[in-house]
Amino acid sequence: MKKLVLVMAALLVVFSASAIVMAQGYDAQPADAKIIPLGEEGTAYENQEPGVQGGTMYVAAISDPKKWNYVTSHETSTTQYCFLMLRGLVDSNPVTSALEPELAKSWDISEDNLVITFHLREGLKWSDGEPFTADDVVFSFNDLYYNEDVETDTRDILVLPDDTYPVVAKVDDYTVTVTLSMIFRPILSSIGAPILPKHALAQYVHKLNPDVPVGTFNSSWGLDTDPAELVGMGPFMVESYAPDQHVTLVRNPYYYHYDAQGTQLPYFDKYVVLTVASQDVSLLKFRNGELDALGIRATDVPILKREEAVKNMTVLVDPDVANYGTSWIGINQDIGLAEGTYENLRALYRTRDFRAAMSNLVDKQAMIDTLYNGLAVPQWSPVSYLSPFYAGRDYYGGPVTETDAVVFEYSLDKAAALLDGIGIIDRDGDGWRDYEDGTRVEMELNTNAGNTVREGVSLIVADRASKIGLKLNFVPVDFNTLVNKLFASTGEMIVLGLTGGNEPNSGANVYSSGGGLHFWHYSAADEPNELEKKIDGLLDAAVGTLDNDEAFEIYKEYQITLANDDLGLVYTVNPAFTYAFSNKVGNANISSPVATPSGNNGLTMDLCFFK
Amino acid sequence: MITYIIRRTLYMLPLLILVSLISFALIQIMPGDYLTRASMNPQITQETLNQMKARYGLDKPFIVQYWLWFKQIITKGDFGTSFETMRPVYWTLFMGDRLMWTLIIASTTMLLTWLIAIPLGIYSATHQYKPSDHTLTFFGFLGLSIPNFFFALVVLWVLVAIFKVGNYGLGVGGLFDNRFIGASWSLAKLGNLLWHIWPAWLVIGTSGMAGLLRYMRGSLLDTLSLQYVQTARAKGLPEHAVIYKHAVRNAINPLVSMLGMSLPGLVSGSLVTAIVLNLPTVERAFWSALQMQDQYVIMGGLLFFSLFLLIGNLLADILLAWVDPRIRYG
Repeated sequence: MKKLVLVMAALLVVFSASAIVMAQGYDAQPADAKIIPLGEEGTAYENQEPGVQGGTMYVAAISDPKKWNYVTSHETSTTQYCFLMLRGLVDSNPVTSALEPELAKSWDISEDNLVITFHLREGLKWSDGEPFTADDVVFSFNDLYYNEDVETDTRDILVLPDDTYPVVAKVDDYTVTVTLSMIFRPILSSIGAPILPKHALAQYVHKLNPDVPVGTFNSSWGLDTDPAELVGMGPFMVESYAPDQHVTLVRNPYYYHYDAQGTQLPYFDKYVVLTVASQDVSLLKFRNGELDALGIRATDVPILKREEAVKNMTVLVDPDVANYGTSWIGINQDIGLAEGTYENLRALYRTRDFRAAMSNLVDKQAMIDTLYNGLAVPQWSPVSYLSPFYAGRDYYGGPVTETDAVVFEYSLDKAAALLDGIGIIDRDGDGWRDYEDGTRVEMELNTNAGNTVREGVSLIVADRASKIGLKLNFVPVDFNTLVNKLFASTGEMIVLGLTGGNEPNSGANVYSSGGGLHFWHYSAADEPNELEKKIDGLLDAAVGTLDNDEAFEIYKEYQITLANDDLGLVYTVNPAFTYAFSNKVGNANISSPVATPSGNNGLTMDLCFFK
Repeated sequence: MITYIIRRTLYMLPLLILVSLISFALIQIMPGDYLTRASMNPQITQETLNQMKARYGLDKPFIVQYWLWFKQIITKGDFGTSFETMRPVYWTLFMGDRLMWTLIIASTTMLLTWLIAIPLGIYSATHQYKPSDHTLTFFGFLGLSIPNFFFALVVLWVLVAIFKVGNYGLGVGGLFDNRFIGASWSLAKLGNLLWHIWPAWLVIGTSGMAGLLRYMRGSLLDTLSLQYVQTARAKGLPEHAVIYKHAVRNAINPLVSMLGMSLPGLVSGSLVTAIVLNLPTVERAFWSALQMQDQYVIMGGLLFFSLFLLIGNLLADILLAWVDPRIRYG
């Protein structure tokens, strides 16, 4: 009898142990799992190392998520969690930025380049254990992204220049075709938009479930949804959320990424994002050992550098690598056009040499030194520094051999000479330059009040301009007022910035003559000048080829044309990518702001682990 | 008294409607709207923006927007939907335990401030112009004049950089240390909560202390100079009985009306401290709505705060009548 009890007890222990293992989700590795060759020579990951499972990682975010629904989200405080919970067909490699298979294990492109066939990984499961199939892919595109009842800006990324959408169709459970009406290279990466679970979300879509009213999907997966209802294919799933306090994520037991040793990713059991509204406080919390990694400002670097050794942490700064995005001074060539005023100023702004003189007045080194503690990169191109299509890497990366970068050095003499050349000289001896009719050249420079860096940039530009007798009055205004000025074409000169990405075509709305954000020359929509026609042509050509090398050459010409000849925007400087992490975090050296699923610290969260 | 309360309550309605109309107009005067930020995203097209504008009703004229919103409240009790969270306004403002935490933090702070400031005020008045009186006044005004956000940051900095509390496993900011996140309630967790809340008590408390202390001091000094106090002293009552039984009871009247009026301060008024110390409060949700121009959440917040103000005033008047039999309302 005693023996029986013992055997039963032993069995119970074994069962509960295996139940715990199951609950923790060390599911069997699917045949089609994606292997991340950490630490293997000759791969993108040769500088990383395989890790061990376990632990909780703590980081901070400046604001709370607004919902859990990727499709209807508009901003990064929400999407940072969606990108951890969801995956797409393809994604960029976090180290090389090259496109690589994700939920699709491979893809073929037809002879005519118009049909892409995706072969999906087989045997994958959603975080709730349901199988992942082609139905989910077709659902995500046809019933969500393309559904007019659904509010989503992803539709704007998927649309082709002829206003059609790629047709997504199921061939069998693990094959999907994407048919295009025209060749459009960026679709290869934008088709990697996150795939959502049909079995969990179809009930909210009016088209599939007429019982619910139109638009129900737009409020589904809100903050009041029980996190247990959220289903995804990404490394982490939301476990709990407390407003203004934290979002706690837990590892997805069915995640399909494994390291070469057969360990399932992610390594961390939990990932906690604390909401810390003040960056000064998140810095204190990091110094206090409460955070394992932190995205920092250039001004924080000296403080942390001093404590690097004592606090057992690393401050990773590469002063030569700029973050995504562009910063510039927009010079409105349409000023007063509608009202028939500002004749002199408009003529001046439409002169290429004036805009070149402004470029020579941008004292980039002073901006980098005084506003960013030396941790920023001079910008010259409309394409983000980290994009594979950026044409100037040789220039800033190392010694200049063959320069593709258009560099307007800071030179008061050159700027003065250019202004003299176009007849903008001091005519009445009061120290300020005048138009030919004798009136003083006086301009207003705006930026959004409260942004200390942009205010600093404006002050430096206004100061340097005054040294050669050019009168720039700096007037900071409220952000929304500034945006209204941009769209109404009533601003004179505006210091601002835009977000950017790997694909230069994401800037088409800004740089093409008919673009909605072509705010320095809206009248170009009706009558583009020769340069703008050339730029439109280059933008079209670059998306009409699937050959990346060819696209690179086209974008190179595009960048040089914009930066040297067109000069619609005068570029300033872009902050360097900086972050700090505790030395106990392994693989934190993937310092890529590209990587999804990336935390808000540029760490590729599914690869990090505690040493 | 009952009719008085009913009448006062009825007066609140037109006041609230007026407040809402003025606030709605103010929101419209603000440049831009909720979609202004989105319009600067190169990836969003004009058509999408127009669709969103129509969906949110932002394309309609101001008075139509107001009427639609007002009608919803009257007919369905629906105060609108947040553009950001796509959830009802009051859910967005109070979600989680925001309202509870706001009330807990504010009421404990207020209680502590009163418990300390009133005795100090009495002490100050009875030791008028002595060095101890000047010292108390000096520290009171010091607390009043240091900006809260700065003081809060200094407190955290001192804890981290000077006392290095991280070495003892203690965190700063927020409600709990990392290890208590998601843990169930225990004595240790409660202790940890106290550790995280005392800086809020200190920062918010010191800023309110000076006013209260000076009010109490002034009011008591006034009373002490009255003839009945002299009479009490002349008939040989011990000094503590003169002060506590006769003077303080009368001197405290003006402070009672202050108590009622500080009710709205319970839900608004510690925003900067809450941001720096990372406390979940209603005004933080309101503040973020203001930043994003999430207009119905702003409206909801304003109405909520005005209602609190009106109720606070009413309570102050009722309290006053209760503590002072000389006051009667008709």
